[in-house]
Amino acid sequence: MNSDNILHIFQFFLLLFLQSFLLNNINLFGFINPNLYLLFIIIYRLDGNPTLLIIIGFVMGLLLDLLTQGSGGHTIATLTIAFLRLSIIKFSFGVNYDVPMGMIKGSLLRQRLLYFMLMVVIHHLILYSIVYFSFDNTITILKNTLFTSFFTFIMVYISLGLFREKND
Amino acid sequence: MRQLVNALLKYKNALLYIGLLIISFLFLNQRSFYHQSIFSNASLVLSSNLNQAGKNISSYLNLASSNEKLIAENIKLKGLELILFSEQAEKNQATDNFPFQVIGARIIKNNYQSARNYLIIDQGYLDGVEKEMGVISSDGIIGIVNQITANFSSVISILHRDIKINASFKKNGAYGSLYWQGNHPKKMKLDDVSTINPILVGDTIVTGGMSDYFPYGIPIGKVSSFKRPKLEGYYDIDIELFSNLTQKEFVYVLKNKMKDQLNQLKYE
Repeated sequence: MNSDNILHIFQFFLLLFLQSFLLNNINLFGFINPNLYLLFIIIYRLDGNPTLLIIIGFVMGLLLDLLTQGSGGHTIATLTIAFLRLSIIKFSFGVNYDVPMGMIKGSLLRQRLLYFMLMVVIHHLILYSIVYFSFDNTITILKNTLFTSFFTFIMVYISLGLFREKND
Repeated sequence: MRQLVNALLKYKNALLYIGLLIISFLFLNQRSFYHQSIFSNASLVLSSNLNQAGKNISSYLNLASSNEKLIAENIKLKGLELILFSEQAEKNQATDNFPFQVIGARIIKNNYQSARNYLIIDQGYLDGVEKEMGVISSDGIIGIVNQITANFSSVISILHRDIKINASFKKNGAYGSLYWQGNHPKKMKLDDVSTINPILVGDTIVTGGMSDYFPYGIPIGKVSSFKRPKLEGYYDIDIELFSNLTQKEFVYVLKNKMKDQLNQLKYE
């Protein structure tokens, strides 16, 4: 349990610095910056303490906003996704989701993809709605959400493979 | 009590989420001017509509007294008009060139308790009000427009700690900047008046012509006391305002028709 916590703290800061110093400067096609830091909230233990996750999500978004001179979009988006995670898990894995650790290996591929997709898309939708914050920019918000979600999703999926191999 | 604790424990995640969400919105409001302006615009729409409903009721009840005030103001204006007519023969050109246009408005929310006060008036951009227009009343200045919606505007009161207004002495034109220290709604300070100008208690202060917001010569107040610091070259002057900003109902928004030209000059 203790080494687990240390691993979590390590992951937290690794993803945070990776996001703020590397991934936020990619600007693929001028506007796409995959938000890989979401991985931390996605792979947080399914039976972990949800209250703690909300606090972690808030702190993570806040630190990211401070590091990247953001206005506060990451804070609100990450906080909200951390809060909604429980409902998303229930929705995508069904009611008896309480497979403790090996959820990603044990569950169906379809369920897994639905879970990742919902997490990523909802997070990005909130993030860009907050950043643009105006009905006139609805098209821009949807466009950014779509493309950035796509790239984040791919990165999350790839990195998940890496993490799993290491854990085994 | 126990049920309350149980309920709190049951909804602790939701409560925590809402609490942190409020904090993050405050954070957002602090950090981004864009979001700040959207929030303040939304709050202006909300508070102006709510306040107008309340104000309509109270203004109906005050019709008699506001009638009296209007009559008094009309008498005063009539007097001024007559003076103007008598002078018009030689000053025709000057009045034609007067660059300000006047829009009448009614205050629907007036605030003077806090350190940074705002008013809301019932004229918006549909009525021709624009940002950064000066607002005056029958006997003094009120403030400067800072936010507008279709039918309402919010005005930074001169009773606002961060606003400074160019003001000068009526008798000799010595000018300084007028600001409010945040205590009494009739007392203000006049700064930056050089000690080479002789001043006396009771001198009248008028608006200076150096701002785009107000024309020269609107009476603001009189000197109630002043000090002459030994080391500095500037007076420390206390002003008592003529107008009582806590009892205003009708104001006039001044539209500077020459402002575009002035700005063009300034930024070139």
